[in-house]
Order: sequence, then structure tokens, then C-alpha cells
Amino acid sequence: MKQASISEFFEKNKHFLGYDTLQRSIITAVKEAVDNSLDACEEHRILPDISIELRKVPKKPDRVIMISQDNGPGIPSKSIEKVFGSLLFGSRFHTIRQTRGQQGIGITGVVMYSQLTTGKTTRVTSKISKEATALQMDIGLDTKKNAALVSNRERTHDFLDHEGMPVEHGLKVEAPMKAKFQRGRKSVGQYLRMTSIVNPHATIRYRAIDENQEIIEEFVTERVTDRLPRPVRSIKPHPHGIEIGAMNRLLRDSTEKRMSSFLRHTFSGVPMRAMKEVLAHADVESAAKPSEVTPEGAQRILNAFNTVRLMPPPTDCLSPIEDLLIKKGLSKAVDSAFVATVTRAPNVSLGNPFQVEVGLIFGREDIPADGAVDVLRFANRVPLMYQQGGCLLTKAIEAVAWKGYGLEQPGGKGVPKGAATILVHLASTNVQFTSEAKEAVADNEEVFNEIRLALQEVGRHLKNHRKKSAQKAKAQEKFELVNEILPAISEKASSLLGREEPDLAPVITRIMNAVFCEDEVIWDKEAKVHRCRIKIHNYTARPRAYSILAQYPETDSAHFVENDLGGRREVKGIWCWKLDTIAPGDAGYIEFAIQGLEHNDWNSTEVFFRGSGDIIGASKIDEEILEQIRTEEEIAAKKAIEENNLAIDDAMDYDTDNSGDLDAVELQNAMAGPIGEKLEQNSAEQVIAKHDVDNSGTLDREELIDATQSDTSRQTGLGEWGDE
Amino acid sequence: MSEAKSREEVIESLNQVAAEMHDKMLKGEPPTMTLPVRSKTNIEFNKKLGVYKYGKKQTIRDATSLGSARQLLRALHVIDFIEEMIDTAKSSTLREMYYISEAWGLGKFGTQNESNNIAEDLEIVTRCMREDFKLRPEEDGARMIGNVTIEERNRRGDWMRINCRDDVGDSGYGLPYNVEPEKIRLIDEDIDFIMAIETGGMFDRLVENGFDESARCALIHLKGQPARSTRRMIKRMSETWKKPVMVFADCDPWSFRIFASIAYGAIKTAHISEYLATPSSTYLGITADDILAYDLPSDKLTPKDVEALKAELTDPRFATSEWQGQIQMMLDEGKKAEQQALAKYGLDFVTDTYLPEKLAEFGLSI
Repeated sequence: MKQASISEFFEKNKHFLGYDTLQRSIITAVKEAVDNSLDACEEHRILPDISIELRKVPKKPDRVIMISQDNGPGIPSKSIEKVFGSLLFGSRFHTIRQTRGQQGIGITGVVMYSQLTTGKTTRVTSKISKEATALQMDIGLDTKKNAALVSNRERTHDFLDHEGMPVEHGLKVEAPMKAKFQRGRKSVGQYLRMTSIVNPHATIRYRAIDENQEIIEEFVTERVTDRLPRPVRSIKPHPHGIEIGAMNRLLRDSTEKRMSSFLRHTFSGVPMRAMKEVLAHADVESAAKPSEVTPEGAQRILNAFNTVRLMPPPTDCLSPIEDLLIKKGLSKAVDSAFVATVTRAPNVSLGNPFQVEVGLIFGREDIPADGAVDVLRFANRVPLMYQQGGCLLTKAIEAVAWKGYGLEQPGGKGVPKGAATILVHLASTNVQFTSEAKEAVADNEEVFNEIRLALQEVGRHLKNHRKKSAQKAKAQEKFELVNEILPAISEKASSLLGREEPDLAPVITRIMNAVFCEDEVIWDKEAKVHRCRIKIHNYTARPRAYSILAQYPETDSAHFVENDLGGRREVKGIWCWKLDTIAPGDAGYIEFAIQGLEHNDWNSTEVFFRGSGDIIGASKIDEEILEQIRTEEEIAAKKAIEENNLAIDDAMDYDTDNSGDLDAVELQNAMAGPIGEKLEQNSAEQVIAKHDVDNSGTLDREELIDATQSDTSRQTGLGEWGDE
Repeated sequence: MSEAKSREEVIESLNQVAAEMHDKMLKGEPPTMTLPVRSKTNIEFNKKLGVYKYGKKQTIRDATSLGSARQLLRALHVIDFIEEMIDTAKSSTLREMYYISEAWGLGKFGTQNESNNIAEDLEIVTRCMREDFKLRPEEDGARMIGNVTIEERNRRGDWMRINCRDDVGDSGYGLPYNVEPEKIRLIDEDIDFIMAIETGGMFDRLVENGFDESARCALIHLKGQPARSTRRMIKRMSETWKKPVMVFADCDPWSFRIFASIAYGAIKTAHISEYLATPSSTYLGITADDILAYDLPSDKLTPKDVEALKAELTDPRFATSEWQGQIQMMLDEGKKAEQQALAKYGLDFVTDTYLPEKLAEFGLSI
């Protein structure tokens, strides 16, 4: 791009930069500001507090001032001009990691748009905690030089937060621009609400003021968690995502001296063994200089990538929101009767790690039950507001047979109808969009399948919930009948006739003639645990025997603290107990407590059973689905072991003295490779000290497997109840 | 009405209802209340009485659902309440009972309709009359104008003689809820027939036109579906004085049912049809033929009308070929008409032309 034509470039491409209409421009500007603020806060581990204010300018049609303010780290004075004054500044175009900034051209675009539409400058106020005063300046763009034009630069004490308190660190941007703002589905308000759902750790304030200084829209969405998202790591590209053009460019630009180190250091997932195999397959010398490899050689290497067994890219570079937090975010944003969320395990497509999360809210009272459900799409925590129809996330929703889960779907396809909201979040190091506008995710079979599976799971939750609510209401009636009405009938009839009251127990059994399940989850404030109680009441004339299964939140932090009945883990998030036979008229109880969750993280359980005879208030477990989940888990476990073995193989390659053992130096070197990710973040000496069973001072292969696996099993969250 | 039952008989039959429930519970079974099915599928023509009565189909209301259990409890409360009234020689209206039920806790009524239904259930099960239960209906009786003389016992216990033409205003004589001999005596008449009229508008038209005098009849306003006392009064006058009853109503399915309840007995009160129904009643009009014959302004049948007509086709009370023909004709034409449609030909048309022509068909010349 020629620098001289930067404003021309902007003008020509404004449709995919998000500035094509006056309504959309204001959303884009807010989006750039909010993305910047969230990214900056998270990088510096600050809980974000963001305010957005829109002010209509009196007597100027379509003129709005956008004011954004955050509590981020602020920008050091020497960087302000660069951040706001030159397009494409920053490193986000060169690293591979999950960032919001993959979309849009950043805050400079706002300055540019402001200048092009109003001829005015953007006021920036920044305070970093080291300095006593904030720095304030007006920034314009020299479009020829792609540089900032700064005016009115001054220090100020007058930088205050929304409560009028002096700001310790933060950034404020005030940009006038030509724009129209509106309410509804495609509005700044909706954008911010959606943003708050997928950023449950952020507090977002919004206010819109018209030309008469009157507030026309205002809300605050408070953070629901103090846990910041996991910091995202950047990863090297994976060979499976590389095309020939990119390969040639990488070879040409490489500063590595040998192909062996080029392959090892440019890509992720290429251990020593794989590197050797790739070079052998491609018939390229390991000592060859990367820049001198022929295009044919490059193509052969590319082919070899598909035959040689590579390590998958690491997936811990992703930062999912996590289902419990989505649930909280959703519950905060909309009133509803039921929320289900699912976070799938990370997966890989074409060398790109990705992870899918979905949420389903049902029973909204604020939207009509006969309209299409509300669809909320997100990519890397950024709301997608346009092009819903052509988006992969929407297509996956349409591909689910919702009727089976209790949502109307005319013709058996398309977006279902009902007073519901469906949320889909795709986290990936490389979200592929259909176009530069970056509003619709492009087709991808693996991603599509993951979303579909996740949606089917929330669908099952919904179905069970609705069945359970109906059964609960019915059970409630029966309980009222036998506990209140029947004794009253007996008393009244007996007193009218002057007879003795009959024994009602056999009558109650005849009337109920069913097994009932009652369950509750309560938060024990004192002990800081969630207690779950399940009562199975046998109101039939026969003894009953069941295994009871209950859903619980299985997360890294949550673990059982009380569970007298023991039982065992069935699959992820489902525990199973065997109940003693319940005599007619008797009840069986299950009680357990889970520690490590926040209040409101868990409100209700789903109860399933194995055994003959229905239980009202519980569902018969679907063994097929259990089997399906188990298979998935087994595949994942196998994959993990395989990966582990690959990593061990790779690590043993560092055994330079061929002793069969890794000494501290060798291990240190090995830890730079994939095995490093599997070990605790300790020094090589510490790892050896901990896992050197035979006290040889070195780690042999067995010990190394132990060292990596103890860590792996800890991550799966089986905990102390893992085996019965 | 009938042979009045003694206090002991009434209490005994009410206790029988409670005993059924108690016995069931003693056996370890849900309490029940057995009563005749109250629908058109369970009414049979009683040749001896000339009216329709409940057949042998019974329904058992048992306490296996919350709704039925509540009904049973309410019935027990009502029984208790009635027995108390009998003991203390009081009476109450159904509406009063509805409010009194506020104190019955779980047995309290949700709507007035519920209390009415339970009172009816008990009447049927115990074969007692509402009057035996000391329960009065809220509904007021109809209005009557014509040259008949009756005596009504007033609040002071005195017999008051009233000529229903000369001693009343334009709104006529208002029938009390109790029209039994202890309250109303039939003294004298100078009429040829009794004419029952569905709508107030038509009743007023006939009164204004002096039809009671010109046609020598007693006019009774039915007020839609006639109250028990209205039907009972029509029956008493017709039987005592041997006068025919002519029913003049709209031409729609609901009017047919009004007629059936006067002539054959209503489904809801089939247990006492012999006290309320007048089998010799005649449906005068407006008939389906009249719509065509007099070219009357008509309305289209609504889906509900059609449904009601179809139900009547299978109602044993309308099983005669004449009724089947009328109903079928209405369904074919898809039309219905109001009494007032006759005003198309002027205010006097009904009294000068229509009614004389129709009455002549039944041998009543004016």
C-alpha cells in the first residue's frame, strides 16, 4: 500500500472496514474503542471498566461525538501518536493467537473516519500510573505521511472517572463523526450488551444523549466474575494450515541458516523426529539454506507435511469464556426461565486450533414465542452483527432438528422459532470469514460439526428441562392432593358421619402410584459449598431399585467434598450412585457437596436413572448418548496419550549422549519443545528431583512419561473420586 | 314440588354421599362420588312422564386428580353447610354460599359456577331438591303479562291477589324464585294459551301492541335460557288450566335448546324434568322455513352455530323428523334470524300478520 493514498485506501475500502453506512459507522467506532480497551486491560490483568457515551451535536444533522473511557493501563506518551496516528500499527497482523483485533483496522480508523467526515481532530486523554498527571492531546492524521498531527498537547489533573474520582490509569477518546445512532438489533446498545455477555469480567456503561441533552438510552452491565480470561499465548503457524504461497514467503524471509532449524523454529507441531522425516520425504538437505530451496522443493515439503505424523498445534493458546461464565453473562443480560451452556473441548482444523461454545436461553418473556429465536454470534469474544444468513454459525443452528428438542421449526429446517436465544461463540487463532467485512464466518466442516454437537447437547438439556417442569407441576399437584386435600376429605367425612378416620397410607399409595424425584441445589454460605440433595420417594406398592445419575459442574476448580454414598464418575459432568432398594412408601436420599464454585455458578441439577419403572421428575438415562460421550472422551484420551508419546519421543531426541536418560541440560533443551507444555512450569532440575524415582539424577523414558502423565490426569479433573 | 322430604330423610341421603367416600378410604381406595353422566348421551325419554330423564350411565368422580379431589372436599363442606342450615332453620342463596366458602380453607370455591355445580351434583345424587337443601338460586324469574289472577304470599305472610294485566305496570308481574303452591296460588284466568317469548325486545313489542288482549294469551318473557321457576310456572299454569304453550324464539340453535328445556327438560336438570318440563309445548317460530317464507333478513351461521346444530342432530330430544328437517334446512341454508327481523315489514307486522298466521297453523285463531 502506498502511504500517499492512505485516505484514498480508506475511502475505497470503507465497506469492509465497517464504515459503509452512518448506522454501521458508529457501531464500528465503538467496537474499535471497546476492543482496544478490553485487549489492553486483559494484557495488563486489569478488570475492565469501560464507559461509552454518544452525544448528538446540536444543530448538526448526523453529527455524533463518541466518548469512550477505560481503566486500562493508559498509553505512554511516546506511543500515543503511533497508536492513534498510523494505520496498521501494531503487531496483531503478524502473530497467530486468539485476539479480538483480528477484525477491523483499529482505533486509527476511528481518527481517520472522524477527520474525513467532520474535518475535526480526535481528543485523546491518557494516564499511566507512573505519572502524576494525564496527558491530553488532539490528534489528526497526515494522510500523506501516514502519521499523526498533534495539537493542544498538555498535562491535566482533570481526568476523572464516572464517579468523578481522579483516574489512576486509563484512556479516554473523544471523536466527533458523521453517524446515525438507533436502537434495536443493529445498534450500539445491542453491540455492547452482546459484548458484555461474552466478557463477563467487564463492567460496561452506556449512555446516549440527544441534542437537547436528554438521555435517550442508558444502561450498566456489571461484571459477574472477577476472573480475567486466561492470557492468550501466541503460537507459531502449524504446517497443516500453510499454502504454497505462504511457504515460499516463509522460506524466502527466513533468517535460519539450515532447513532443519527452519522447520523446527518456524512451525508448531514439528518435533525433531518429524523434521527429519519431512526432509527425508521431501528429499531436501537438512543443511540447505531456506532461502535457496527451490519452489519444487517447497512443494515437496508441503506434501511431506501431509504424510509425516506431526504434533497437533497446542490448544491452550485459546481462551474460551467457559460455560459457567456464559451462563452468568446470559442470565444477566436477559430474564429467562432456563439457560444451558456448553463449552466443547478444543479441536483443530487445518492446523488452526479452535473451540466452540454455545448457550441456549429459553422462556424469555420479552420476545414473542412465535417469532424466530434470537441468534447471538461471536468470534473471539467479538459480536457479529451483520450477514447472519450467510454465516457458518447460523448454518449450524439451522442444521439441528430442533423439533426434537421442543422448539418449533417450520419445515424441519432453518432457524427455530420460540421465546429463546441461541448463542454461538467461536474461539480460534484464525477465524476464517466469508469476506473482508468479517461479519460472517466461512464454511468449515470441523467447526460446523463441533457447533452442531454443542447445540444438540444444549437442546437435550432444554428437552429435559421442559419435561421436568411439566412433571414437577404434576408431581406438585399430587403432593398437594395426598398431603392436604385427602386428609381434609378424611377428616370432614369422618366428622360428618361421626366415624373414626381411616388409615390413609394405602389410599395415598393407590393415588400416587409412582416414584417421585425431588432435587435441589443450594449454596451453603458458611461452608462455601454447593449442596445437592436428591430424594427418590417410592409411592408404589412394589419395592424399587435404581441407579441415580446426576449432572454436576465438572470443572478444574470444582471437586466433591461430601459424598457419603460414593458412587463413580459416569462421564464428564455426570456422577452415578447405586441406591439401596426403596420399600413401598419409603424414600432414598443422595446428598453431596461440591467445593470450588462461586455462588450462582450452579443452581439446579438434572437427575437421570437406570432401572425399571419411571421416576417422575427424572429422566431415564439415554445409554446411546452416554456411549457417544464416552467414545468422544476415549478418543480424546487416546489422542492425549499419543501426543504425549510423540512429545516423549521428541524429548528423547535430546539425549545427545545416547545414555538413554535425560540429564538436566538435555531436559532443559527438550523443554523448549512440545514436552515443555506438558510439564509443570518448573526448572529442569526441579522436574528431575520430583520424578527421578531411581535417584539416578536423570530422567529415563518411564520417569518422563510419569512426569507428563501425572500432570495430564490432574487436568482431566477426575480428582479423588476418580475410581470407585 | 313432589312429596317434600323430611329433615331426617334429607340429612340421611346427604350423609350417604359422605359414607361412600369414607367406605372407600376404609378399604384403602381413593374416595369417590358416583353420579349420573350429565350429557346428551345419557338422557332417555320417559314415556310415563313424557319428558327426558337421566339414563343409567354413571360417572365416578374419584380423588386421583387434584381437581376431582377438591370437588369431593367441597361437596363435603356443602353437605356440612346444608345440614347446619337444616338444623338452624335458615336458608341461603347460592351466592351467599359461595362467599361463606371463603372460610372453608382447602374446600373453598374458585368460582360461583363451581358452587352451583356442586349443589346440582348433590341434588342429583341425593334425589333431593334444591329447596330441600335450603339453597336459593340467584337468578330471578321472568316477567309475565296477561289476564291471569294469582295470589302470592308476601314477606308478612299475607296472601296478595294480583291480576297480571290490571295490577301491574308495563314490565309485568315478576315471578319469584319459588313458585310452589306454598308461595303462589293460581286463582283465575281468561286466556286461550300461554306464549313464551325469548327476547325482551319482542316481549315489549307484543306488550306495546296489546297482543295479550287481542290474542287472549299470557305473555312470559323467558330471558334467554329460562330459570327453573319460569319453567315451573309455565308447567303449573299449563297443567292446572289446561292451556297450550307456544314458544316464540329466534331461529338459531340456542333457541332450539331453550324450547327443548321447556318442552322436554334440560340436560342439566334432567333429574327433575317431570317438575319443570311441559311436554305439550309447541315451537311456534321463528322456524327455518319462516326465513324463506317471509324473506327475513338473516345472518350467516358462525362455526359455533354449525357445531351446535350438528350436536342437536344427535340429541335425542331433537330426534323427531320435524326437528331433523328444520335443523338440516338451517345447515343447508347456512342462515339464522332474530325475532326482531320481522320488523323489516313494520312494527305491527308481527302482531297483525306473522303471529296470527303461525297460530292459525296450530288451530289458534285470533
